[in-house]
Amino acid sequence: MNGKVVLMMDRRYIDAHTGETILEAARRHGIYIPTLCDLKGLKPVGACRLCLVEVKGVNRLVPSCLTKVSEGMEVVTDSERLRKHRLTILSLIFSERNHVCSVCVSNGHCDLQELAQKLGLTHVTLPYRYPRLPVDSSHDLFRHDHNRCVLCARCIRVCDQIEGAHTWDYAGRGINSRVVADYEVPWAQATSCTGCGKCVQVCPTGAMSQKGTSVAEMAKRRQFLPYLTQMRERWR
Amino acid sequence: MRLAVMDALQAVREQGLKKILPDKPRLGVGLGTCGEGNGGHEIFQGLADNLENLGVDAHLATVGCLGYCAQEPLVNLWVPGQPMLILNRVTAADTEEIAQALAYGKLPTRRALCKISRWDHLTGVLEYGSGLDEVPEWNQIPFWAGQKKTVLRNCGLINPEDIEEYIAVGGYFTIYDVLKNRTPDQVIDEVKKARLRGRGGAGFPTGNKWEMLKKAPGERKFIICNADEGDPGAYMNRNEIESDPHALIEGMMICGYAVGATQGVVYVRAEYPLAVMRLKRAIEQARGMGLLGSEILGTSFKFDLNLVEGAGAFVCGEETSLIASLEDRSGRPRPRPPFPAQKGLEGAPTNINNVETWYNIVPILAKGGEWFSGTGVSTSPGTKVFSLVGKVKNTGLVEMPLGSALKQIIYDIGGGTGTSKKVKAVQTGGPSGGCIPAELFNSSVDYESLAALGAIMGSGGMVVMDEDNCMVDVARYFIEFSHSESCGQCVPCRVGLDHALRILKLVTSGEAREEDLATLESLAQMIKETSLCGLGQTAPNPVLTTLKYFRREYLEHVQERRCLPTACEALFVSPCENTCPVHMNIPGYLQLVNEGRLEEAALAVLMDNPLPASTGRVCQHPCESRCRRGDVDEPVAIRDMHRFVVDQAFRPENYSQIVEQVAGRQAKDTGRKVAIAGAGPAGLAAAFYLRLLGHQVTVYEARGQAGGMLRYALPEYRLPESVLDREIGLIQKLGVEFVFNWRLGRDKTLAQLQQNFDAVLLALGTWKEVALGIPGADLRGVMTSLELLEAVATHETAPVGKRVVVIGGGNSAIDSARTAVRLGSQVTVAYRRGRSDMPAIAEETEAAEAEGVEFHFLAVPKSILGSRDGGVTALEVSKARLGPFDLFGRRTPQVTEEVETILCDTIVVAAGEKVDGDLVRQLELELGPGDKVAVNPLTMETGHPGAGVYAAGDVVHGPANVVMAMGSGKRAAAAIDRDLMGSPRLSRLRPEINYQERVPLVPMGGGRHHGGQVAVPERRNHFVEVTVGLSPEDARVEATRCLRCDVKASPAKSEAAKLAPVVQEAVR
Repeated sequence: MNGKVVLMMDRRYIDAHTGETILEAARRHGIYIPTLCDLKGLKPVGACRLCLVEVKGVNRLVPSCLTKVSEGMEVVTDSERLRKHRLTILSLIFSERNHVCSVCVSNGHCDLQELAQKLGLTHVTLPYRYPRLPVDSSHDLFRHDHNRCVLCARCIRVCDQIEGAHTWDYAGRGINSRVVADYEVPWAQATSCTGCGKCVQVCPTGAMSQKGTSVAEMAKRRQFLPYLTQMRERWR
Repeated sequence: MRLAVMDALQAVREQGLKKILPDKPRLGVGLGTCGEGNGGHEIFQGLADNLENLGVDAHLATVGCLGYCAQEPLVNLWVPGQPMLILNRVTAADTEEIAQALAYGKLPTRRALCKISRWDHLTGVLEYGSGLDEVPEWNQIPFWAGQKKTVLRNCGLINPEDIEEYIAVGGYFTIYDVLKNRTPDQVIDEVKKARLRGRGGAGFPTGNKWEMLKKAPGERKFIICNADEGDPGAYMNRNEIESDPHALIEGMMICGYAVGATQGVVYVRAEYPLAVMRLKRAIEQARGMGLLGSEILGTSFKFDLNLVEGAGAFVCGEETSLIASLEDRSGRPRPRPPFPAQKGLEGAPTNINNVETWYNIVPILAKGGEWFSGTGVSTSPGTKVFSLVGKVKNTGLVEMPLGSALKQIIYDIGGGTGTSKKVKAVQTGGPSGGCIPAELFNSSVDYESLAALGAIMGSGGMVVMDEDNCMVDVARYFIEFSHSESCGQCVPCRVGLDHALRILKLVTSGEAREEDLATLESLAQMIKETSLCGLGQTAPNPVLTTLKYFRREYLEHVQERRCLPTACEALFVSPCENTCPVHMNIPGYLQLVNEGRLEEAALAVLMDNPLPASTGRVCQHPCESRCRRGDVDEPVAIRDMHRFVVDQAFRPENYSQIVEQVAGRQAKDTGRKVAIAGAGPAGLAAAFYLRLLGHQVTVYEARGQAGGMLRYALPEYRLPESVLDREIGLIQKLGVEFVFNWRLGRDKTLAQLQQNFDAVLLALGTWKEVALGIPGADLRGVMTSLELLEAVATHETAPVGKRVVVIGGGNSAIDSARTAVRLGSQVTVAYRRGRSDMPAIAEETEAAEAEGVEFHFLAVPKSILGSRDGGVTALEVSKARLGPFDLFGRRTPQVTEEVETILCDTIVVAAGEKVDGDLVRQLELELGPGDKVAVNPLTMETGHPGAGVYAAGDVVHGPANVVMAMGSGKRAAAAIDRDLMGSPRLSRLRPEINYQERVPLVPMGGGRHHGGQVAVPERRNHFVEVTVGLSPEDARVEATRCLRCDVKASPAKSEAAKLAPVVQEAVR
């Protein structure tokens, strides 16, 4: 795992560690690839499809969060086609549920909002779906707002992989998919939940928040995650 | 009993053979799910009872399905020494007859579909017997001719619930041979040599996959059979397992041995209970004989099989979600790599193959990889089973060598639609596949060719569609399917498909705009390129292929809010109205007649159709072919009904009133001037509407009178001149100006017309006869049908002799023939195709026959013989036979050596008309094939450099029929008016008439009422009109026969339908 490979990324040669993903290598070299579901410390799932890149010789786009580097690989992280797809995907996410930044607890601290700013998404041409979705405020400390959820599965993964509780999982299929606690019970009734709040902190948007926060007050603290994973690696 | 040595296996085989070929008759009832559903159990019981009652000693067995679904239920009947008979469409009532025949030592050969004298099971050959020459051999009937049974080698012939019968046809001998004589590497080499590709649809080389698994590190390895067959319209895997479960077990055993896996899993969808039951039983039987477990066949080989039932998610057919489902997790795909061969079930290396892939393994090992790759094409060897369903006559499972042409599968084997409708497209590969239009049916069916067309092989489903299938609706159906089966993990598939479905629903409800189509296309492309798993990556294929091959249909939905195939309910009034080129509100006037409101009915008819008396007599009536009453008994006599309505209104005492009513709807003068070149049906229809809309209209006509083909080509006995005069008189009374004996180019150029008028419509027609191009065509006595008909119409003497031959099969051929009869000649019609391919109206052909016209079908003109003085003496025709199918399912005539001579002194050529090329070529127009004027099909606007030049009628779409020409004239009028006035106005002309909106609860009115016909002896000597209109009594009753398809469930909708404009004007 400690070998090195040289690959080409956006027409420049970079070195990378064997076993590293394209995304990790790009980040170390300061090359920006947009991501949403990815979070350092959690196993990647490739769900948001924002980090897709072109690899020469591969006839379809590959998710950079999951694809390992290899010697002589030629990667393009930014192209007309990729930009177009990323903007469409972002538009799809915005149109899916009710993302109203001005009244959101995460306004100003939101990964989705930041992506829109970075990628230059000024408006969404697709009509909004405006689904009627509930807000689960049953928990003493936290709030779960389905209207802001982007189904990135960060909460599901952190609960399963780090906390080991597996309170969260998907329910439903396709457009009706939702993140639910235990067997679709209100959060307060989820007996598996330890109340650790990790899910709240990793959530990219205002879908999970701490109670007592108002508009723009929900800044997430994620430092614990790399620290925890590093400590676990060390003491394994 | 555990089998360990060859002798034991042989002994079981002998025992099994005694069941398949006993010393008494054997009856096998096809009992797949299909057979059961068709009453197979009743037949089985009926046979059992009747055989017992009659004391017939016979062996009655359950067998699987032979795959000929259209002929279900199937029963095999074998009597020692005779070929096996396949009895089709057997009912429980037939069982007595069958048993009785057997009791008398006879065979019910008349009931047989075909016979099987000898069958190659590939692992063994069975000789049933020879004889019974009157029954065709199985591979001589169209459905099976050309098929090659490899995967389906045992299906429908052996008892799937009895391992002994499988062993009897050579089953488990291959694994015996493999275990004793071959190394695992040799097995993999054989599969690689066969170049077998995955039959689940993706086509990955199976041998390579096995090798990867073999090389993967680890003690524990799994092999999985993917039997989660979820494509709508695909059921080959079900039948394979139901009919021959042991072949699957043996195939998986061979793989287990080759790759070093000791555990196999079959993942069957729970919706296949019979397949689950039979496979479970087969596994038990195999275990009982020591074929599964340890020390198999006396070797150290260990292997066992588990059956797991799926939970109903389509996405579980994707291998990673299938594994998740096997591990008791919810079936959601995960990204690859790692591939299952590296990390699969329970983290161990795993190989997944589709059911059909497994069925190819035994034949490959039994006959050799080279034998296998000898079938099919080099990139895609072997055979593939297709489930041929939809609008096709011979539905069923078809096993074809890969690389066969689509048209062979659909026409030769499938027999086309089996109705008068043409095949439009075929959807291959289910929701992940694409729609391939009939124009591309020459393409080969292999992995690469289908992918190049935008479709996929997929599991092998083939859904045939005909003219009634709306391609937008088809795309909507499949996207709805994928939308509800999407797992929801990745954004493009989850949200992208939702938007795609939303847009498709807008299109099918007529609410979409053109930019929505662009959004749909780019979304579809994005979903295809960015989705996580195969479901999302292929789900847009139905949209992308229909947009590619049927964009015109999308545009019709969007721009005209019309669904011509009559599928999208919001986009038509009724099937008849939708099919009518001028979109007459047929249910509306029928209801008015029903209510006794004849005057209002006449006004409604006239405002939709300016030449209703002519069309009421000579229309091709496409509406009647779509009338739903035809599904009950016979279509409503729509054409006769509107003739009745108008004939009443055009009576001398009513005529001035109807003229007044029509004129009363005229808009005020606009001051715009329109010139129309050509006073045929297209020109007249356009003139009528443009004048009513307030424009000043001048019609220029090359001949002496208006009417075009209606006047000069339609004989008096079909359309009396006086009737036509009354209609044209009405148009004249509205203030349309006519200029006769005027030729475009001679009297005025197009440029001059453009200068003097705000818009010009070219409705020039097709007045040139297609030349035959055979020797002798310039002899005296050879004439064109137009020459003959025009001479008669203008009361000149027609130079026909005593014996006339008419060449052609269209309406003008029949018109010429019947005209010649009236001139006293003896007439023969020679047509190159068969009777069912004649373009002429069927009633006309029948009437001609009644009048003594003789028909020679499949007679291709070869040469015309003449006498020394230059006159015609005979026509030589080559006899033809029906050759191969063309792309649209018509069989092309193939000329044989045989020549027939038909003596005659006159030959009338009616091979079809064409555009006068010399005339249109001087007009700076964009021309299509056959010099037809190219137009925007929605606005009828030509590509002429100067604006405001439109074209309509035959000059645009080639020789068609009156009502089609009128339809395009009407469309042109709507477009011209909109372009002149800035907004669509045509629909304002329609009178608003309310009538009852009620569906008859039971079909009323009895059988169809016909207008009377003048008796043959009276009519064949002169030109008096043959058809007498309906009597008022009959018309009233006939009107009640309408089933009122226009009445929609919600009142709001039916209101909208009533107000729907005649031709919904194109919105730019």
